[in-house]
Amino acid sequence: MIRCLMGRILIVDDTLFMRTLLKNILFSGGHTIVGEAADGEEGIAKYRELKPDLVTMDVVMPKMNGIESLKGIRQFDPAAKVVMCTAVGQEQMVKLAIKTGARGYIVKPFQAPKVLEEVKNVLAS
Amino acid sequence: MKEVPVKIEHNGAWASIRLGLEEDHLVIPPPINRKVLFRDVVNLEERKNLLIITVKGEPEVVYRILTVEKVIMVMRRLILMLCNGYRLNAYFLSPAVRGGVLVTDAQWEKGAIVVVRTGIWFVSGTKQVCIPLLDVADIELTKKEVQGRQTDVVMLEHVDAGEVVTSFVLCPISTLQILFNFLTDATKSMEMKGDELDEYDQQVAMLVYSGMDSSAIINMLSVNNKRLNEVYDKLIGLGIAEVVEIRREVKLTTKGIKYIADATKQ
Repeated sequence: MIRCLMGRILIVDDTLFMRTLLKNILFSGGHTIVGEAADGEEGIAKYRELKPDLVTMDVVMPKMNGIESLKGIRQFDPAAKVVMCTAVGQEQMVKLAIKTGARGYIVKPFQAPKVLEEVKNVLAS
Repeated sequence: MKEVPVKIEHNGAWASIRLGLEEDHLVIPPPINRKVLFRDVVNLEERKNLLIITVKGEPEVVYRILTVEKVIMVMRRLILMLCNGYRLNAYFLSPAVRGGVLVTDAQWEKGAIVVVRTGIWFVSGTKQVCIPLLDVADIELTKKEVQGRQTDVVMLEHVDAGEVVTSFVLCPISTLQILFNFLTDATKSMEMKGDELDEYDQQVAMLVYSGMDSSAIINMLSVNNKRLNEVYDKLIGLGIAEVVEIRREVKLTTKGIKYIADATKQ
């Protein structure tokens, strides 16, 4: 079976700058950005609506943080592929995200080739 | 005494010799004919299969030795354990993050940190990693969770093959402080005051860091080329960016316009 490594991706991040950056990186890697959300609640709603192949999820966000949003998405779809975006030194958050079912982690600030590699790995998993 | 085949630079040419390896010194046979005590080695650098050894003296002597990886590993280990550098026993995690992606199979290794003139070496039973001081992008005394406890560590960020790599060093806090001060001092030339860049300049720098080219930055920040060039000039002037490519914009001549017009008629 040939696995398609280009995905339909939902970006969840409260800063427009990071969303735009991720959008550019992922688009340059041939992925389709199906939607964006600015907080965890909106992330869950957009996931239900768009059913993307993968979600990039910021951890620290207003209203609902990335971990809670990840839980909500996994309740709706236990097979959801979510890549968390954390800052260096947030090991606690990473551990919690692993327990909650995150499939990958990228650390800010990130570099395009590595982000695409991680996304590709998670999509192929 | 163990002997290994190497090539050594002598008077601008490579001479094939059998280098003698003892526990605390090297024996370089003719045409150089010299005994090098490891404790006299003040710097060790490596480039692919080339080991560059600087030995103290008036003046200092630099030996360039070309050999296979297996021999380099043995020599590196012997030299680093006894050389004239700042050495401490420590645990290290390297690389922990590469290009912003966590290295999931990274593990703490027990070994030593050896700081020589141009680089920091992580040495364990299975690994020898060098971070050239010129490639160090950031040093921070911070806390990291180790076996469920928040522990003091030194975080090092360096550039390797265009990617930013994060490593951590763990040892008693007093030693960490010495290591941190030593590294901060050794990389002083890389430091900035912090107020050189405004928010907009920082956004551009962040985008460059992430691998965005000029056209992507122009689109993302809705900026014109002139304004972007001003920011680039500032980054270059501060020594935090360098020009890697100059792009050209062209417009068609009358001949070119005619060519396109004709081509579309066909």
